Amino acid sequence: MTAERKSGRLEAVSRKRPSRAKRGVWTARAALSVAALLMLLPLLYQVGLSFKAPGDIFVNPLNPFPFAPTFENYAVVLRSLPMGLYFVNSLLFALGVTFGQIALAIPAAFALAHGRFAGRQVALALVLLSMMIPFVITYVPNYLTVASWGLIGTLPGMILPLLGSGYGIFLLRQHFASFPVSILEASRVDGANSLQTLWLVLVPANRAALTSLFVYLMIQSWNQLIWPQLIGSRESSFTLTVGVQRFANGEGGTSWGPMMAAAVLASLPTVVLYLIVRRGVLTTFSDGAVKG
Amino acid sequence: MLALTLFVFAPLAQTVLISFFEWNLVSPQRHFIGLENYTAIFSDPGFVGVIGQSFAYMALALIGNFALPVGLALLTLQLPEREAELFQSLLFVPAVVAVSIGVLVWSWFYLPAGGLFNVALGALGLPQPAWLTDPGLALPAVSLAANWKFLGFNYLIALAGLRAIPREYLEAARVDGASGARLIFRIVLPLFGPSALFLLVSTLLQSLEQVFVPIEVLTVGGPAGATTNLMYSVYQEGFKFFRAGRAAAESVLLIALFAGLIVWQFRMFERRVAYDR
Repeated sequence: MTAERKSGRLEAVSRKRPSRAKRGVWTARAALSVAALLMLLPLLYQVGLSFKAPGDIFVNPLNPFPFAPTFENYAVVLRSLPMGLYFVNSLLFALGVTFGQIALAIPAAFALAHGRFAGRQVALALVLLSMMIPFVITYVPNYLTVASWGLIGTLPGMILPLLGSGYGIFLLRQHFASFPVSILEASRVDGANSLQTLWLVLVPANRAALTSLFVYLMIQSWNQLIWPQLIGSRESSFTLTVGVQRFANGEGGTSWGPMMAAAVLASLPTVVLYLIVRRGVLTTFSDGAVKG
Repeated sequence: MLALTLFVFAPLAQTVLISFFEWNLVSPQRHFIGLENYTAIFSDPGFVGVIGQSFAYMALALIGNFALPVGLALLTLQLPEREAELFQSLLFVPAVVAVSIGVLVWSWFYLPAGGLFNVALGALGLPQPAWLTDPGLALPAVSLAANWKFLGFNYLIALAGLRAIPREYLEAARVDGASGARLIFRIVLPLFGPSALFLLVSTLLQSLEQVFVPIEVLTVGGPAGATTNLMYSVYQEGFKFFRAGRAAAESVLLIALFAGLIVWQFRMFERRVAYDR
Protein backbone atom coordinates (compact mmCIF):
# COMPACT_ATOMS: atom_id res chain seq x y z
CA MET A 1 0.00 0.00 0.00
CA THR A 2 2.65 2.50 1.05
CA ALA A 3 5.13 1.41 -1.57
CA GLU A 4 2.47 1.57 -4.21
CA ARG A 5 1.44 5.02 -3.16
CA LYS A 6 4.99 6.33 -3.17
CA SER A 7 5.73 5.07 -6.63
CA GLY A 8 2.41 5.82 -8.26
CA ARG A 9 3.43 9.29 -9.25
CA LEU A 10 2.84 11.15 -12.42
CA GLU A 11 6.18 12.89 -12.72
CA ALA A 12 7.87 9.55 -13.22
CA VAL A 13 5.48 8.93 -16.06
CA SER A 14 5.87 12.16 -17.96
CA ARG A 15 9.65 12.12 -17.72
CA LYS A 16 9.85 11.14 -21.37
CA ARG A 17 9.52 14.72 -22.56
CA PRO A 18 11.73 16.67 -20.23
CA SER A 19 10.93 20.23 -21.38
CA ARG A 20 7.17 19.77 -21.13
CA ALA A 21 7.36 17.89 -17.87
CA LYS A 22 9.60 20.57 -16.42
CA ARG A 23 7.18 23.29 -17.39
CA GLY A 24 4.43 21.26 -15.75
CA VAL A 25 6.39 21.05 -12.52
CA TRP A 26 6.93 24.80 -12.44
CA THR A 27 3.28 25.53 -13.16
CA ALA A 28 2.26 23.17 -10.37
CA ARG A 29 4.80 24.70 -8.01
CA ALA A 30 3.63 28.25 -8.73
CA ALA A 31 -0.08 27.43 -8.48
CA LEU A 32 0.34 25.52 -5.23
CA SER A 33 2.46 28.27 -3.72
CA VAL A 34 -0.27 30.80 -4.46
CA ALA A 35 -2.88 28.44 -2.99
CA ALA A 36 -0.83 27.83 0.15
CA LEU A 37 -0.30 31.57 0.59
CA LEU A 38 -4.02 32.30 0.23
CA MET A 39 -4.84 29.53 2.71
CA LEU A 40 -2.40 30.84 5.29
CA LEU A 41 -3.19 34.53 4.80
CA PRO A 42 -6.26 34.63 7.08
CA LEU A 43 -4.23 33.07 9.88
CA LEU A 44 -1.40 35.49 9.23
CA TYR A 45 -3.79 38.44 9.54
CA GLN A 46 -5.22 36.92 12.69
CA VAL A 47 -1.83 36.72 14.35
CA GLY A 48 -0.83 40.14 12.98
CA LEU A 49 -3.96 41.85 14.29
CA SER A 50 -3.45 40.31 17.71
CA PHE A 51 -0.14 42.21 18.01
CA LYS A 52 -1.40 45.53 16.68
CA ALA A 53 -2.09 48.40 19.06
CA PRO A 54 -5.81 49.41 19.10
CA GLY A 55 -5.09 52.59 17.10
CA ASP A 56 -3.12 50.75 14.44
CA ILE A 57 -5.73 48.22 13.34
CA PHE A 58 -7.39 50.44 10.77
CA VAL A 59 -4.32 52.51 9.85
CA ASN A 60 -3.07 50.24 7.11
CA PRO A 61 -5.26 47.13 7.10
CA LEU A 62 -3.60 45.57 4.07
CA ASN A 63 -0.35 45.11 5.96
CA PRO A 64 -0.75 42.09 8.22
CA PHE A 65 2.35 42.95 10.22
CA PRO A 66 2.17 45.32 13.18
CA PHE A 67 4.47 48.38 13.02
CA ALA A 68 5.02 48.34 16.74
CA PRO A 69 4.16 44.90 18.11
CA THR A 70 2.40 45.03 21.45
CA PHE A 71 1.30 42.43 23.95
CA GLU A 72 -1.44 44.73 25.19
CA ASN A 73 -4.22 42.74 23.49
CA TYR A 74 -3.07 39.57 25.20
CA ALA A 75 -2.96 41.38 28.53
CA VAL A 76 -6.55 42.60 27.99
CA VAL A 77 -7.75 39.08 27.18
CA LEU A 78 -6.02 37.50 30.14
CA ARG A 79 -7.41 40.24 32.44
CA SER A 80 -11.01 40.02 31.27
CA LEU A 81 -11.41 36.31 30.52
CA PRO A 82 -10.62 33.32 32.76
CA MET A 83 -8.61 31.72 29.96
CA GLY A 84 -7.02 29.26 32.39
CA LEU A 85 -10.43 27.90 33.38
CA TYR A 86 -11.56 27.71 29.74
CA PHE A 87 -8.35 25.91 28.88
CA VAL A 88 -8.87 23.32 31.62
CA ASN A 89 -12.51 22.81 30.53
CA SER A 90 -11.48 22.41 26.89
CA LEU A 91 -8.79 19.94 27.90
CA LEU A 92 -11.11 17.87 30.11
CA PHE A 93 -13.84 17.93 27.48
CA ALA A 94 -11.49 16.91 24.67
CA LEU A 95 -9.78 14.21 26.76
CA GLY A 96 -13.13 12.85 27.96
CA VAL A 97 -14.56 12.62 24.45
CA THR A 98 -11.35 11.20 23.02
CA PHE A 99 -10.68 8.53 25.65
CA GLY A 100 -14.35 7.64 25.89
CA GLN A 101 -14.71 7.19 22.14
CA ILE A 102 -11.51 5.17 21.87
CA ALA A 103 -12.41 2.97 24.85
CA LEU A 104 -15.75 2.14 23.22
CA ALA A 105 -14.33 1.89 19.72
CA ILE A 106 -11.61 -0.69 20.47
CA PRO A 107 -13.90 -3.57 21.55
CA ALA A 108 -16.56 -2.61 19.00
CA ALA A 109 -14.00 -2.54 16.17
CA PHE A 110 -12.59 -5.89 17.34
CA ALA A 111 -16.01 -7.50 17.29
CA LEU A 112 -16.80 -6.07 13.86
CA ALA A 113 -13.46 -7.11 12.40
CA HIS A 114 -12.92 -10.57 13.88
CA GLY A 115 -16.01 -11.55 15.82
CA ARG A 116 -18.38 -14.17 14.49
CA PHE A 117 -21.95 -13.32 15.33
CA ALA A 118 -25.22 -13.00 13.52
CA GLY A 119 -25.93 -9.51 12.26
CA ARG A 120 -22.31 -8.44 11.99
CA GLN A 121 -22.88 -6.92 8.57
CA VAL A 122 -25.96 -5.12 9.83
CA ALA A 123 -24.01 -3.74 12.78
CA LEU A 124 -21.28 -2.51 10.47
CA ALA A 125 -23.84 -0.89 8.19
CA LEU A 126 -25.37 0.86 11.23
CA VAL A 127 -21.96 2.19 12.22
CA LEU A 128 -21.47 3.59 8.71
CA LEU A 129 -24.98 5.01 8.68
CA SER A 130 -24.43 6.76 12.01
CA MET A 131 -21.56 8.70 10.44
CA MET A 132 -23.92 10.17 7.88
CA ILE A 133 -26.57 11.48 10.27
CA PRO A 134 -26.23 15.25 10.63
CA PHE A 135 -25.46 16.27 14.18
CA VAL A 136 -28.24 18.86 14.55
CA ILE A 137 -30.83 16.13 14.26
CA THR A 138 -29.65 14.42 17.41
CA TYR A 139 -29.17 17.65 19.34
CA VAL A 140 -32.75 18.23 20.48
CA PRO A 141 -33.33 14.66 21.72
CA ASN A 142 -29.86 14.47 23.27
CA TYR A 143 -30.41 17.80 24.99
CA LEU A 144 -33.58 16.35 26.52
CA THR A 145 -31.75 13.20 27.60
CA VAL A 146 -28.98 15.21 29.24
CA ALA A 147 -31.56 17.45 30.88
CA SER A 148 -33.45 14.46 32.25
CA TRP A 149 -30.22 13.26 33.83
CA GLY A 150 -29.75 16.69 35.39
CA LEU A 151 -26.41 17.18 33.65
CA ILE A 152 -27.02 20.51 31.87
CA GLY A 153 -24.10 22.85 32.50
CA THR A 154 -21.71 20.06 33.42
CA LEU A 155 -18.79 18.47 31.64
CA PRO A 156 -20.24 14.91 31.77
CA GLY A 157 -23.38 16.27 30.12
CA MET A 158 -21.22 17.70 27.35
CA ILE A 159 -19.10 14.58 26.94
CA LEU A 160 -21.50 11.62 27.22
CA PRO A 161 -23.69 12.19 24.13
CA LEU A 162 -20.61 12.62 21.95
CA LEU A 163 -19.41 9.11 22.80
CA GLY A 164 -21.89 7.71 20.30
CA SER A 165 -19.69 8.10 17.25
CA GLY A 166 -19.06 5.72 14.41
CA TYR A 167 -15.87 7.27 13.05
CA GLY A 168 -13.45 5.69 15.52
CA ILE A 169 -15.15 2.31 15.32
CA PHE A 170 -14.98 2.31 11.55
CA LEU A 171 -11.38 3.51 11.34
CA LEU A 172 -10.15 0.93 13.87
CA ARG A 173 -12.19 -1.83 12.27
CA GLN A 174 -10.43 -1.15 8.98
CA HIS A 175 -7.05 -1.44 10.70
CA PHE A 176 -7.99 -4.49 12.78
CA ALA A 177 -9.46 -6.27 9.77
CA SER A 178 -6.22 -5.96 7.83
CA PHE A 179 -4.31 -7.65 10.67
CA PRO A 180 -3.29 -11.22 9.75
CA VAL A 181 -5.80 -13.69 11.15
CA SER A 182 -3.09 -16.35 11.53
CA ILE A 183 -1.41 -14.38 14.31
CA LEU A 184 -4.73 -14.06 16.14
CA GLU A 185 -5.25 -17.80 15.77
CA ALA A 186 -1.74 -18.42 17.09
CA SER A 187 -2.44 -16.39 20.22
CA ARG A 188 -5.67 -18.30 20.67
CA VAL A 189 -3.82 -21.60 20.39
CA ASP A 190 -1.38 -20.30 23.00
CA GLY A 191 -4.34 -20.03 25.34
CA ALA A 192 -5.22 -16.35 25.19
CA ASN A 193 -8.92 -15.53 25.40
CA SER A 194 -10.31 -12.95 23.02
CA LEU A 195 -9.92 -10.07 25.47
CA GLN A 196 -6.26 -10.93 25.97
CA THR A 197 -5.80 -11.23 22.20
CA LEU A 198 -7.30 -7.78 21.81
CA TRP A 199 -5.29 -6.01 24.51
CA LEU A 200 -1.99 -7.87 24.17
CA VAL A 201 -1.83 -8.39 20.41
CA LEU A 202 -4.13 -6.16 18.38
CA VAL A 203 -3.93 -2.96 20.39
CA PRO A 204 -0.12 -2.82 20.60
CA ALA A 205 0.16 -3.76 16.92
CA ASN A 206 -2.09 -0.85 15.95
CA ARG A 207 -0.46 1.73 18.19
CA ALA A 208 0.19 4.06 15.25
CA ALA A 209 -3.44 4.06 14.14
CA LEU A 210 -4.59 4.58 17.73
CA THR A 211 -2.22 7.51 18.20
CA SER A 212 -3.47 9.15 15.02
CA LEU A 213 -7.07 8.59 16.04
CA PHE A 214 -6.28 10.09 19.43
CA VAL A 215 -4.80 13.22 17.86
CA TYR A 216 -7.64 13.53 15.37
CA LEU A 217 -10.32 13.21 18.05
CA MET A 218 -8.49 15.61 20.36
CA ILE A 219 -8.38 18.28 17.66
CA GLN A 220 -11.98 17.67 16.59
CA SER A 221 -13.42 17.81 20.09
CA TRP A 222 -11.21 20.72 21.14
CA ASN A 223 -12.72 22.65 18.23
CA GLN A 224 -16.39 21.86 18.93
CA LEU A 225 -18.56 24.88 19.49
CA ILE A 226 -22.31 24.30 19.14
CA TRP A 227 -22.80 21.35 21.48
CA PRO A 228 -20.62 22.66 24.34
CA GLN A 229 -22.38 26.00 23.89
CA LEU A 230 -25.81 24.40 24.27
CA ILE A 231 -24.95 22.31 27.30
CA GLY A 232 -22.24 24.40 28.94
CA SER A 233 -24.57 27.19 29.91
CA ARG A 234 -22.61 28.36 32.95
CA GLU A 235 -19.30 30.17 32.77
CA SER A 236 -17.73 27.48 34.98
CA SER A 237 -18.16 24.96 32.16
CA PHE A 238 -17.25 27.15 29.16
CA THR A 239 -14.66 25.69 26.85
CA LEU A 240 -12.20 27.94 25.01
CA THR A 241 -14.32 28.02 21.86
CA VAL A 242 -17.45 28.92 23.82
CA GLY A 243 -15.66 31.52 25.94
CA VAL A 244 -14.02 33.19 22.97
CA GLN A 245 -17.30 33.16 21.05
CA ARG A 246 -19.13 34.84 23.94
CA PHE A 247 -16.37 37.42 24.13
CA ALA A 248 -16.58 38.06 20.37
CA ASN A 249 -20.37 38.42 20.51
CA GLY A 250 -20.29 40.65 23.56
CA GLU A 251 -17.69 42.92 25.06
CA GLY A 252 -14.96 42.05 22.54
CA GLY A 253 -17.23 42.56 19.53
CA THR A 254 -15.50 45.58 18.13
CA SER A 255 -12.14 45.37 19.83
CA TRP A 256 -10.45 43.38 17.11
CA GLY A 257 -7.04 43.24 18.76
CA PRO A 258 -8.14 41.43 21.91
CA MET A 259 -10.57 39.26 19.91
CA MET A 260 -7.76 38.05 17.68
CA ALA A 261 -5.45 37.59 20.68
CA ALA A 262 -8.08 35.37 22.28
CA ALA A 263 -8.44 33.49 18.99
CA VAL A 264 -4.69 32.93 18.74
CA LEU A 265 -4.52 31.66 22.33
CA ALA A 266 -7.43 29.30 21.73
CA SER A 267 -6.00 27.79 18.55
CA LEU A 268 -2.41 27.53 19.81
CA PRO A 269 -2.82 24.09 21.48
CA THR A 270 -4.25 22.32 18.41
CA VAL A 271 -1.80 23.96 16.03
CA VAL A 272 1.13 22.95 18.25
CA LEU A 273 -0.25 19.41 18.54
CA TYR A 274 -0.62 19.30 14.75
CA LEU A 275 2.93 20.49 14.19
CA ILE A 276 4.29 17.80 16.52
CA VAL A 277 2.45 14.88 14.96
CA ARG A 278 1.84 16.30 11.49
CA ARG A 279 2.70 13.25 9.44
CA GLY A 280 0.54 10.88 11.50
CA VAL A 281 -2.48 13.14 11.22
CA LEU A 282 -2.10 13.54 7.48
CA THR A 283 -1.93 9.78 6.85
CA THR A 284 -4.87 9.03 9.18
CA PHE A 285 -7.12 11.33 7.20
CA SER A 286 -6.14 9.95 3.84
CA ASP A 287 -6.00 6.27 4.90
CA GLY A 288 -9.46 6.40 6.37
CA ALA A 289 -10.75 7.82 3.13
CA VAL A 290 -9.13 5.34 0.79
CA LYS A 291 -9.94 2.28 2.82
CA GLY A 292 -13.52 3.48 3.06
CA MET B 1 -22.91 0.06 19.85
CA LEU B 2 -24.87 0.87 22.96
CA ALA B 3 -23.64 4.45 22.87
CA LEU B 4 -24.55 4.70 19.20
CA THR B 5 -28.04 3.44 19.90
CA LEU B 6 -28.52 5.71 22.86
CA PHE B 7 -27.18 8.92 21.36
CA VAL B 8 -27.68 8.55 17.62
CA PHE B 9 -30.37 6.07 16.63
CA ALA B 10 -32.78 6.56 19.55
CA PRO B 11 -32.69 10.34 19.01
CA LEU B 12 -33.33 9.72 15.33
CA ALA B 13 -36.50 7.79 16.10
CA GLN B 14 -37.50 10.37 18.69
CA THR B 15 -37.07 13.10 16.08
CA VAL B 16 -39.45 11.43 13.65
CA LEU B 17 -41.96 11.08 16.48
CA ILE B 18 -41.66 14.71 17.60
CA SER B 19 -42.24 15.87 14.05
CA PHE B 20 -45.91 14.97 14.43
CA PHE B 21 -46.39 17.12 17.51
CA GLU B 22 -46.66 20.74 18.43
CA TRP B 23 -44.30 21.22 21.32
CA ASN B 24 -42.08 23.92 22.81
CA LEU B 25 -39.33 21.60 24.12
CA VAL B 26 -39.99 22.24 27.83
CA SER B 27 -43.68 22.03 28.48
CA PRO B 28 -44.95 18.59 29.56
CA GLN B 29 -47.83 18.97 27.14
CA ARG B 30 -47.49 17.92 23.55
CA HIS B 31 -50.29 18.15 21.02
CA PHE B 32 -50.52 15.55 18.32
CA ILE B 33 -51.14 17.46 15.09
CA GLY B 34 -50.33 14.86 12.47
CA LEU B 35 -48.71 16.26 9.38
CA GLU B 36 -49.41 19.88 10.22
CA ASN B 37 -45.76 20.68 10.88
CA TYR B 38 -44.95 19.53 7.38
CA THR B 39 -47.70 21.52 5.70
CA ALA B 40 -46.71 24.55 7.79
CA ILE B 41 -43.07 24.55 6.72
CA PHE B 42 -43.93 24.10 3.06
CA SER B 43 -46.39 26.96 3.02
CA ASP B 44 -43.80 29.22 4.68
CA PRO B 45 -42.01 31.18 1.90
CA GLY B 46 -39.04 31.64 4.26
CA PHE B 47 -38.58 27.90 4.43
CA VAL B 48 -38.77 27.50 0.67
CA GLY B 49 -35.96 30.06 0.53
CA VAL B 50 -34.01 27.96 3.04
CA ILE B 51 -34.22 24.97 0.68
CA GLY B 52 -32.95 27.07 -2.22
CA GLN B 53 -30.11 28.43 -0.10
CA SER B 54 -29.16 24.90 0.96
CA PHE B 55 -28.71 23.97 -2.68
CA ALA B 56 -26.74 27.19 -3.26
CA TYR B 57 -24.35 26.20 -0.46
CA MET B 58 -24.02 22.73 -1.98
CA ALA B 59 -23.20 24.18 -5.39
CA LEU B 60 -20.57 26.51 -3.95
CA ALA B 61 -19.06 23.63 -1.96
CA LEU B 62 -18.76 21.67 -5.20
CA ILE B 63 -16.61 24.43 -6.62
CA GLY B 64 -14.61 25.34 -3.53
CA ASN B 65 -14.39 22.00 -1.76
CA PHE B 66 -14.49 19.52 -4.62
CA ALA B 67 -13.25 20.94 -7.93
CA LEU B 68 -10.60 23.14 -6.35
CA PRO B 69 -9.03 20.54 -4.02
CA VAL B 70 -9.04 17.89 -6.75
CA GLY B 71 -7.30 20.35 -9.06
CA LEU B 72 -4.73 21.15 -6.39
CA ALA B 73 -4.19 17.44 -5.75
CA LEU B 74 -3.57 16.82 -9.46
CA LEU B 75 -1.00 19.61 -9.43
CA THR B 76 0.63 18.18 -6.30
CA LEU B 77 1.18 14.87 -8.07
CA GLN B 78 3.54 16.64 -10.49
CA LEU B 79 5.92 17.53 -7.69
CA PRO B 80 8.67 15.51 -6.01
CA GLU B 81 7.76 13.78 -2.75
CA ARG B 82 9.35 16.31 -0.36
CA GLU B 83 7.74 19.34 -1.95
CA ALA B 84 4.39 17.58 -2.12
CA GLU B 85 4.64 16.89 1.59
CA LEU B 86 5.38 20.55 2.34
CA PHE B 87 2.31 21.72 0.43
CA GLN B 88 0.16 19.11 2.16
CA SER B 89 1.26 20.37 5.55
CA LEU B 90 0.68 24.01 4.64
CA LEU B 91 -2.71 23.57 2.99
CA PHE B 92 -3.96 21.55 5.95
CA VAL B 93 -3.18 24.14 8.64
CA PRO B 94 -6.56 25.96 8.51
CA ALA B 95 -8.29 22.61 9.00
CA VAL B 96 -6.68 22.26 12.43
CA VAL B 97 -8.00 25.56 13.79
CA ALA B 98 -11.49 25.61 15.30
CA VAL B 99 -14.07 26.80 12.76
CA SER B 100 -15.52 29.35 15.15
CA ILE B 101 -12.08 30.75 15.90
CA GLY B 102 -10.74 30.72 12.34
CA VAL B 103 -13.81 32.48 11.01
CA LEU B 104 -13.50 35.40 13.46
CA VAL B 105 -10.85 37.03 11.28
CA TRP B 106 -13.21 36.77 8.28
CA SER B 107 -15.71 38.97 10.08
CA TRP B 108 -12.97 41.58 10.05
CA PHE B 109 -12.14 40.90 6.37
CA TYR B 110 -15.80 41.53 5.51
CA LEU B 111 -16.23 44.79 7.47
CA PRO B 112 -17.96 47.29 5.20
CA ALA B 113 -15.63 50.10 6.26
CA GLY B 114 -12.03 49.37 7.18
CA GLY B 115 -12.21 45.63 6.49
CA LEU B 116 -9.47 44.03 4.44
CA PHE B 117 -11.55 43.30 1.33
CA ASN B 118 -13.08 46.73 1.04
CA VAL B 119 -9.83 48.54 1.73
CA ALA B 120 -8.24 46.50 -1.06
CA LEU B 121 -11.18 47.14 -3.42
CA GLY B 122 -11.12 50.84 -2.53
CA ALA B 123 -7.43 51.04 -3.35
CA LEU B 124 -8.24 49.64 -6.78
CA GLY B 125 -11.06 52.15 -7.21
CA LEU B 126 -13.77 49.45 -7.16
CA PRO B 127 -17.13 49.58 -5.36
CA GLN B 128 -17.08 48.43 -1.74
CA PRO B 129 -20.09 46.25 -0.95
CA ALA B 130 -21.49 45.47 2.51
CA TRP B 131 -20.54 41.81 2.31
CA LEU B 132 -22.49 40.32 5.18
CA THR B 133 -25.58 42.53 5.11
CA ASP B 134 -26.23 42.43 1.37
CA PRO B 135 -28.70 39.56 0.87
CA GLY B 136 -27.12 38.63 -2.46
CA LEU B 137 -23.53 38.60 -1.24
CA ALA B 138 -23.87 37.26 2.30
CA LEU B 139 -24.35 33.62 1.31
CA PRO B 140 -21.30 33.39 -0.99
CA ALA B 141 -19.30 35.29 1.63
CA VAL B 142 -20.21 32.82 4.38
CA SER B 143 -19.58 29.92 2.03
CA LEU B 144 -16.14 31.23 1.10
CA ALA B 145 -15.05 31.32 4.75
CA ALA B 146 -16.29 27.75 5.24
CA ASN B 147 -14.63 26.55 2.04
CA TRP B 148 -11.36 28.04 3.22
CA LYS B 149 -11.64 26.20 6.52
CA PHE B 150 -12.41 22.78 5.05
CA LEU B 151 -10.42 22.72 1.81
CA GLY B 152 -7.50 20.95 3.48
CA PHE B 153 -9.48 17.79 4.37
CA ASN B 154 -10.81 17.26 0.87
CA TYR B 155 -7.46 18.04 -0.69
CA LEU B 156 -5.84 15.27 1.37
CA ILE B 157 -8.59 12.80 0.52
CA ALA B 158 -8.35 13.64 -3.19
CA LEU B 159 -4.59 13.24 -3.08
CA ALA B 160 -4.85 9.86 -1.37
CA GLY B 161 -7.38 8.69 -3.94
CA LEU B 162 -5.15 9.76 -6.82
CA ARG B 163 -2.12 8.09 -5.29
CA ALA B 164 -3.96 4.82 -4.90
CA ILE B 165 -4.10 4.46 -8.69
CA PRO B 166 -1.81 1.50 -9.48
CA ARG B 167 1.45 2.55 -11.01
CA GLU B 168 1.33 -0.15 -13.69
CA TYR B 169 -1.66 1.52 -15.36
CA LEU B 170 0.24 4.76 -15.66
CA GLU B 171 3.34 3.00 -16.95
CA ALA B 172 1.30 1.15 -19.55
CA ALA B 173 -0.27 4.40 -20.68
CA ARG B 174 3.15 5.98 -20.93
CA VAL B 175 4.44 3.09 -23.03
CA ASP B 176 1.47 3.69 -25.30
CA GLY B 177 2.61 7.27 -25.68
CA ALA B 178 0.16 9.17 -23.44
CA SER B 179 1.43 12.18 -21.54
CA GLY B 180 0.44 15.46 -19.90
CA ALA B 181 -3.19 16.49 -20.16
CA ARG B 182 -4.15 13.36 -22.11
CA LEU B 183 -2.72 11.15 -19.40
CA ILE B 184 -4.71 13.06 -16.78
CA PHE B 185 -8.03 13.13 -18.63
CA ARG B 186 -7.94 9.70 -20.24
CA ILE B 187 -6.26 7.60 -17.55
CA VAL B 188 -6.04 9.30 -14.17
CA LEU B 189 -9.49 10.83 -13.86
CA PRO B 190 -11.45 7.74 -14.99
CA LEU B 191 -9.51 5.55 -12.54
CA PHE B 192 -10.06 8.17 -9.86
CA GLY B 193 -13.83 7.91 -10.49
CA PRO B 194 -14.93 5.80 -7.51
CA SER B 195 -13.01 7.76 -4.90
CA ALA B 196 -14.00 10.99 -6.65
CA LEU B 197 -17.63 9.96 -6.34
CA PHE B 198 -17.13 9.26 -2.65
CA LEU B 199 -15.52 12.66 -2.21
CA LEU B 200 -18.25 14.34 -4.22
CA VAL B 201 -21.05 12.87 -2.14
CA SER B 202 -19.33 13.54 1.16
CA THR B 203 -18.71 17.12 0.03
CA LEU B 204 -22.43 17.49 -0.63
CA LEU B 205 -23.39 15.78 2.62
CA GLN B 206 -21.01 17.88 4.66
CA SER B 207 -21.56 21.19 2.90
CA LEU B 208 -24.55 22.16 5.03
CA GLU B 209 -22.82 21.17 8.25
CA GLN B 210 -19.57 22.91 7.38
CA VAL B 211 -21.19 26.31 6.90
CA PHE B 212 -23.12 25.91 10.13
CA VAL B 213 -20.61 27.53 12.46
CA PRO B 214 -19.58 30.19 9.91
CA ILE B 215 -23.28 31.15 9.67
CA GLU B 216 -23.52 31.30 13.45
CA VAL B 217 -20.39 33.43 13.76
CA LEU B 218 -20.73 35.72 10.72
CA THR B 219 -24.44 36.33 10.10
CA VAL B 220 -26.60 34.27 12.53
CA GLY B 221 -28.61 33.31 9.45
CA GLY B 222 -29.31 36.90 8.38
CA PRO B 223 -29.83 39.29 6.69
CA ALA B 224 -33.52 38.35 6.87
CA GLY B 225 -32.72 34.65 6.74
CA ALA B 226 -30.69 34.97 3.52
CA THR B 227 -27.82 32.80 4.76
CA THR B 228 -29.82 30.14 6.64
CA ASN B 229 -29.65 26.59 5.35
CA LEU B 230 -31.70 23.52 6.24
CA MET B 231 -29.38 22.44 9.01
CA TYR B 232 -29.10 25.87 10.60
CA SER B 233 -32.86 26.21 10.35
CA VAL B 234 -33.36 22.98 12.34
CA TYR B 235 -31.12 24.41 15.05
CA GLN B 236 -32.89 27.77 15.04
CA GLU B 237 -36.36 26.26 15.22
CA GLY B 238 -35.33 23.94 18.03
CA PHE B 239 -33.08 26.02 20.24
CA LYS B 240 -33.93 29.63 19.40
CA PHE B 241 -37.66 29.57 18.59
CA PHE B 242 -38.42 26.47 20.70
CA ARG B 243 -40.62 24.91 18.04
CA ALA B 244 -39.49 21.32 18.49
CA GLY B 245 -42.16 19.93 16.17
CA ARG B 246 -41.11 22.10 13.26
CA ALA B 247 -37.44 21.45 13.95
CA ALA B 248 -38.13 17.73 13.87
CA ALA B 249 -40.15 17.97 10.66
CA GLU B 250 -37.29 19.86 9.03
CA SER B 251 -34.88 17.22 10.36
CA VAL B 252 -36.89 14.51 8.66
CA LEU B 253 -36.62 16.40 5.36
CA LEU B 254 -32.90 16.78 5.91
CA ILE B 255 -32.53 13.03 6.47
CA ALA B 256 -34.59 12.37 3.34
CA LEU B 257 -32.28 14.62 1.34
CA PHE B 258 -29.20 12.88 2.70
CA ALA B 259 -30.66 9.43 2.16
CA GLY B 260 -31.42 10.42 -1.44
CA LEU B 261 -27.83 11.47 -1.99
CA ILE B 262 -26.47 8.25 -0.49
CA VAL B 263 -28.78 6.07 -2.55
CA TRP B 264 -27.72 8.01 -5.65
CA GLN B 265 -24.09 7.33 -4.74
CA PHE B 266 -24.68 3.58 -4.50
CA ARG B 267 -26.55 3.56 -7.80
CA MET B 268 -23.59 5.26 -9.45
CA PHE B 269 -21.22 2.74 -7.88
CA GLU B 270 -23.22 -0.18 -9.20
CA ARG B 271 -23.11 1.25 -12.68
CA ARG B 272 -19.33 1.31 -12.55
CA VAL B 273 -18.72 -2.29 -11.42
CA ALA B 274 -16.76 -2.94 -14.59
CA TYR B 275 -13.87 -1.18 -12.96
CA ASP B 276 -12.28 -3.42 -10.38
CA ARG B 277 -9.84 -1.99 -7.88
